Amino acid sequence: MAQDTAEATKARPDGLPLREADNIDEMYLTFALGAEEYGVGIAGVTEIVGMQRIMSVPDVPHYIKGVINLRGKVIPLMDVRLRFGMPERAYDERTVVIVMDVGEAPIGLIVDGVSEVLEIPPSQVDRHTQFGRSSTRPVIAGIGRIGDRVAVLLDTEVLVADGDIALPAEMAA
Amino acid sequence: MSGAVETTPADGGLMRVSSDKISRLMDLVGELSLSVSETVQSPDLLGLQLTNFDAAVHRLNMIVREVQDAATELRLVPVDDVFRRLRRMVRELERQTGKQIEMDIEGGDTAIDKLVADRLYDPLLHVVRNSADHGLEGPDDRRAVGKPEQGRILLSAAQVGSEVRITVADDGRGLARDKILKKAREKGFFGPDEEPEPSALWKVIFEPGFSTAEVVSNLSGRGVGMDVLNATMKALRGRIAVDSTAGQGTRVALHIPVSLAFLDCIILRLRHQLFAVPIDVVSEIAKPRPEDLVGISADTGSEMFRLRGAFIPVCRLDQFYGTPLDRAEDPPTQVLVVFNTSSGPIAVPVDEILDRQQVVMKPLIGRLAQVRASWGCALLGTGEVALVLDCERLAAGPSGGPQ
Repeated sequence: MAQDTAEATKARPDGLPLREADNIDEMYLTFALGAEEYGVGIAGVTEIVGMQRIMSVPDVPHYIKGVINLRGKVIPLMDVRLRFGMPERAYDERTVVIVMDVGEAPIGLIVDGVSEVLEIPPSQVDRHTQFGRSSTRPVIAGIGRIGDRVAVLLDTEVLVADGDIALPAEMAA
Repeated sequence: MSGAVETTPADGGLMRVSSDKISRLMDLVGELSLSVSETVQSPDLLGLQLTNFDAAVHRLNMIVREVQDAATELRLVPVDDVFRRLRRMVRELERQTGKQIEMDIEGGDTAIDKLVADRLYDPLLHVVRNSADHGLEGPDDRRAVGKPEQGRILLSAAQVGSEVRITVADDGRGLARDKILKKAREKGFFGPDEEPEPSALWKVIFEPGFSTAEVVSNLSGRGVGMDVLNATMKALRGRIAVDSTAGQGTRVALHIPVSLAFLDCIILRLRHQLFAVPIDVVSEIAKPRPEDLVGISADTGSEMFRLRGAFIPVCRLDQFYGTPLDRAEDPPTQVLVVFNTSSGPIAVPVDEILDRQQVVMKPLIGRLAQVRASWGCALLGTGEVALVLDCERLAAGPSGGPQ
């Protein structure tokens, strides 16, 4: 039952028509953090919900704001701004939670707002080279070109894991 | 609906129902109870004149509780299913060790959650193997000390409150105190001159990599079995107690909750965080006077709570989790909840005690798996989420400590 709703949400985020032939692995949900645009693979997204009442839990990093109770499921919320060391921003009516399954476990990403669902074929994705830091798996899976805009495509497994990701300096460069 | 249900007139109306269906029912009952509490505690009802509402709510809550109990009971199976498998294993052990072993079973009809029963076999197997392999002496040795040639292992189960206690007792040589103590000192669990209490000493045999068996047999002695036991007991929210008398035998007792689905908890609030604690570990609730709390700067600022002449260590949750609150802003009167743990009582200060309720447990997965000293999340009737505290690990301190 929950599966069905998840499928339904997946199929029509923000009312964008999807064609049968669309390859889900090349579909990205893009969202805004300040002036920057990011994207996550749509395959892991189960639903998008508005801001909920967050309940604080101990013993988690500062960017895990707490948990929400989403129809009986306990979902930890990550403030992606804080994860990237960006300045905190008060949640407003545009703030949304992207609920994803990453490695079998649910996580909610708090972002400034979702933009759209896009098909970005691999030919339009540039590999992002991180200068002098090749030892760890980068959080940036690639840079997607959408016309004259770009979206930074994220590796959600790295995003959700504990490791350090010093993104702002790199993005500023 | 009728597909998976088979009835045979011969077995007195017994039915086979798939465990999936029962799990589904349990989930629904859990959601039902949440939804009922959500409804009756709805803020929309505030200030309304509701003449018969309270009585109806009371009745509804009673019924929900009974439905919960009935659903929980559906999944209970006699622990004998596990015991019988162990009996077969003991036959095998007799052959491999050349020892004669008599295995007695008591309380096999004790009921336990199927999910618990399914996970009990492996840890119990390790305990029984240890008894057979290390505990019981060979026939010649036994005769020499005047014991019957046949060694005896007693496997028993009994329900005590909301716990099932399973004990494995043998009449073998008992744990080698000197050997274990020597090894424990080598491994740094105790100081070179420390003489630990027996109960504290026996606990170290459950530490990872702790094995005193000189000869590693294919049965046991590799020091891994006890880890399995430990891990399973943690997952099942159980406790282990060991008792041993030299020359007379060893007794390992596993204390396990009857059901994993619902947990009778009291709900505590510290600032904006909610915690739930299983009711059976709470020994008392006290309102301390300022002079009852004694700070000890000599011991890194730890605190003691004086309760009727005894001193109980204070465990502050905010310090445990490494996010100390600004104590200057503290309202001076807090409530102290005293928990009984196997390493003695601890007193935990909280701002408020909210409620006592049956909570539905959710495991900590993904980003939440790292939260220390917790069994899981509890969904409360209000829709809020509380962290269920594992007082044993809380008492062991932030770094864990032995056990």
